[in-house]
Amino acid sequence: MLTVLVSGLASGALLAAAALVYNVMFSTSKVLGVTTGQTAMLGGVFGAWFMTRLHFPVIGALLGSVIVGAVFGLLTDLIAVRRVLSRSDEHLWLLSTLALATITQQAVALWWGTEPLPFPRIIHQDFGAGLLDQKYWLPVVTALALAAALELFYRRTLYGKLFLAMSEDAFAARARGIPTDRIRALSYVIVGAMGGLAGFMAGQLTFAYFAVGITLSLNGFIALAVGGLGSNAGALVGGAALGILSAGASYFIGGEYQNTIAVGVLMLVLLVKPAGLFGAQVARPV
Amino acid sequence: MKVLEARNVSKRFGGVVALSQVTIDIQPGEIHGLIGPNGSGKTTMLNLLSGYYRPEEGTICLGEMDLSQAAVQRRSAGGIARTFQKPRLLPTLTVVDNAMIGGWTATRAGFLSSALGLPLPAREERLLRARALELLSGVGLGGVLSRRASLLEHAEQRFLEIARGLMGNPQFLLLDEPAGGLTGVEIGHLQSILKVVRDAGVGVLLVEHHTDFVFRVSDRVTTLDLGKVIKHGVPSDVRSDPEVIRVYLGP
Amino acid sequence: MPPAADTTRRRIAFGGVLLLVAALPFWVRNPYQLHIASLIGVYWVLIGGLNLVAGYAGAISVGHVGLLSVGAYAFAILAGPHGWHPALAVLAAGALGGLCGLLIGLPSLRLPGFYFAMSTLACSLIIGELALAKQNLTGGGVGLAVPGFAAPFRSARGLYWLVLLLAGAVTWFTWNVTRRMWGRALIAVRDSVIAAQATGVPILRVKLTVFVFSGVTAGVAGALFGSLQSYITPDTFVFEMGLFFFVCIIIGGRGSIIGPLIGTAVLTALPELSAPLARLSNFLYGVLLLVVVLIAPEGIGRLLETSIARIRGQRPTSLPVDPDLRRLAAAIRSGHSP
Repeated sequence: MLTVLVSGLASGALLAAAALVYNVMFSTSKVLGVTTGQTAMLGGVFGAWFMTRLHFPVIGALLGSVIVGAVFGLLTDLIAVRRVLSRSDEHLWLLSTLALATITQQAVALWWGTEPLPFPRIIHQDFGAGLLDQKYWLPVVTALALAAALELFYRRTLYGKLFLAMSEDAFAARARGIPTDRIRALSYVIVGAMGGLAGFMAGQLTFAYFAVGITLSLNGFIALAVGGLGSNAGALVGGAALGILSAGASYFIGGEYQNTIAVGVLMLVLLVKPAGLFGAQVARPV
Repeated sequence: MKVLEARNVSKRFGGVVALSQVTIDIQPGEIHGLIGPNGSGKTTMLNLLSGYYRPEEGTICLGEMDLSQAAVQRRSAGGIARTFQKPRLLPTLTVVDNAMIGGWTATRAGFLSSALGLPLPAREERLLRARALELLSGVGLGGVLSRRASLLEHAEQRFLEIARGLMGNPQFLLLDEPAGGLTGVEIGHLQSILKVVRDAGVGVLLVEHHTDFVFRVSDRVTTLDLGKVIKHGVPSDVRSDPEVIRVYLGP
Repeated sequence: MPPAADTTRRRIAFGGVLLLVAALPFWVRNPYQLHIASLIGVYWVLIGGLNLVAGYAGAISVGHVGLLSVGAYAFAILAGPHGWHPALAVLAAGALGGLCGLLIGLPSLRLPGFYFAMSTLACSLIIGELALAKQNLTGGGVGLAVPGFAAPFRSARGLYWLVLLLAGAVTWFTWNVTRRMWGRALIAVRDSVIAAQATGVPILRVKLTVFVFSGVTAGVAGALFGSLQSYITPDTFVFEMGLFFFVCIIIGGRGSIIGPLIGTAVLTALPELSAPLARLSNFLYGVLLLVVVLIAPEGIGRLLETSIARIRGQRPTSLPVDPDLRRLAAAIRSGHSP
C-alpha cells in the first residue's frame, strides 16, 4: 500500500512537472505544445548517453541534459510556434508542434534505438533501499523545486512579471513596448530546461526510452486538465492525484488498465468541470 | 410589427461597467444610428443584441420573445443578422460561397440527404445560389463572384458581409462600424444600400464612428457615453445637443 | 465557369482514370501490388470520412486508429467465432464505429482543439489497452485471424473490387456533402466560429455529425482492413497509424477531396516501394507535416494551384464596387414573401 503511494507520487511528480511546463508555455504563447513530453524524453535519453557513453560526471550530464532541453525548447519556438502564431489559424500550432514532436521522437528512435535502457544512478545508493530509493524521491523533489522556482520567478524577477503581463493580454503587452517575441523565446528556453531537468531526474523511473515523450505529453496534459490550466498548484495536485490513481489501479486491478483509468479520469473531469480543480473557464460556447 | 428591443440592460466586464441600464429599440423599416466615443458601449450593445454577450440585468426582446439568454444561432434563426468591425469571412471560399453560408438558416436538407445526393439539397442549393447572385450584384460585387475571399479589397469584404447577412431574410440588420476604412465614394454606395434595405422593411442598427454619415442616413440616433444614453432623437436634435457636442462631436 | 469543352475533357479524363482503377487487378504485375492498391482503398474509406472531420471541420483527431481497430476486431469476432455473414458483420462494424464516435465526440468536441486532440489520442490508447487486456474476446497479444468475405469477394481480386466499391461510395457521399450547404457549414466551423454562429450554424451538432460519420467509415474500413491483412493483433494499430491518416489529409490539402485521396495513395505506396524509406517513414511523415504546415498550410494541392496561376500570370483585376440597387431591392423583397 505504501509502495503504491510512493511510486504513484514519483510518477505523478513527473506528470506534475509536465503540467508546469504546459502552464509556462501557455502563459506566454497561448500554445499547448505536444512537444512538452519530448523535452523530458530528451533529458532522460541524453542524460543516459552523457553518463554511460561519454562518461560525464553526474553534474556534467545534468547540465548537459538541461542545455539540450533548453535548446530544444528554443527550437520549438523558432520552428513550430513563431511563424505559425502570426497566422490567426489556431489549428496550425497544434499541427506544427505535433509534427516537431513526431520528428524528435522518430529521430531519437533512429539514433538511440527503440529499446528502453536503464538510467544510471545519480547519487551513490544501494539498490536495496526500497521506498527510499532515489528514483522515487528525486522526481518529487524536482517537481516541488520547479514549482517553487516558478513562484519566485513570477513574484520577484522582472522577467517573471513580464511573463505575467504577456499572459494577461499579449496584445496590450506588445503595445506597451514589451518585446513579446523575445520573451516568448525565453519562456520556451525555460520550458525546455525544465523538461530536460525533470526528464533527467525521473530517468531511473522511466528509463531512457524514445517513446516516453508522447505518453508524457498525454498524461501530463491529463494532470493539467485535472488541476486546471494556468494553475501551478493545480499542476502539482493533478499530477499527484493522477500518479497515485494510476499506481493504485495497477496494484488493485492490474497494469493492463492503466491508460483506461487515467483517461477515464480525464473524461470525467472534462464532463463535470472542464476547467479543472483550480483553473479558469475552458469550454468554448458553442 | 415586431420590434427589437434592449430594455434596461447592464453589462459588466470584471470591475468595468460597459453598459448601465440602457434601453434602445429598433423598429422595422428604420435606420437607427448608435454613436458615442470609444468605450461608450456601442459594440457591447451590438454584441448583446446579437447574442455574443448576455446581459447581467435587463432583457433583450424580439417582439414578445425574450432572447436575453438565447444563443447566437437562435437569434440568427429568429431574424437578426449582423456584420463585424473586422470582417469575419471564410478566406478559402469564394465570394459566392461566403454569401451562401448566410442562407444556412433557410436550409432544410440534413447531412444524410446531402450525402445521398437527394433532390432537396440540390434544389435548395440552386435557389440559394440564385439569391446570393442577386444580393451580391445588388451590393456591387457582381464582378468578383468567383474570387477567393482572402483576395478581396477591404470595401468588398464589408459589402460581402452585408450580402451574407441579407441572405437569411433578416428582420433586423445590425452593422458594426461598416464605414470603417471606406472611401467617400464607397460610403456613398453604403448609404444607398442601407436605404434600400430600410425601404424593404428591415430594421437597421448602425453602430458608427463616422458621424456625418450616421446623421445623413439615420432616422433616429442614440448617443452613448460611458455606458449610458445621453441623447436620443432625430439626427438634427442629437447633432445640436450640447451634451453630445461636449462629450463626442467637439465644438 | 469552365467552358463546355473543358467540362467534357474533364469528364473523359475522369472516366479514363476510373476505368484504369477498376481494371487494376488485370494490369498490376504481382499480387503484392494488388495488395497495396487494396490497402490504399481501405485507408481511403477511413480517411475519406475523417476528411470531413479534420479537413473540413478542422477538428484534429489523431486517434482514428482506435476506431479502425474497433471495426477490425468487431468484424473478426462476429464473422469468425460467431459465424455471422460477413456483410452483416461489416454493417455491425460500421455501426459500432459510429457508436464509439458518438461516445468519444459528445464530451470532447465542445472543448478547445488541443483538449479534443488529446482526448482522441487517449481514447485510441484505451482501445488498444482493452484489445490487449480482454484476452477471451480479442485473443490478447496473440491476436485474431480475420475471415474473408463471401464470394465473389473472397479472392484477392474480389476483395479489391469490394474495397473499390466502398471507397467509391465514401468518395461520393463526402463529395456530395461538401458541394452543398453542409460543406460550407463545415468550413465555417473550421475557419471562423464567430461567422458560423452569426449565420446560425449549430457548431457542436455539425462537428458531432461528421465525427459519427467518420466513425462509421472507420469501422467499415476496419472490417476491410482486417480481412485484407487476414490477421490482426493490438500491435497492428499503433499511434503512428492514427498520425498517418491525419497527415494524409493535411498534406493533400484541407477543404479538398481529391487532395487527401492522392495524399493517401502516395503516402501508402511510397514506403512500400523502397525499404530504407519504410524504416524512415514515421520520421518523414513528421517532416512532411511540418513542412506543409509552415509553407503550405492549405496543402500541396493549393500550392500547385497558386504556382500555376502565378506562372500563367493571372492577376485578380480590381473593379470598383458598383451596387445594382434595383436588383438588391427586388432580392430583399422576394425573400420576405417566398
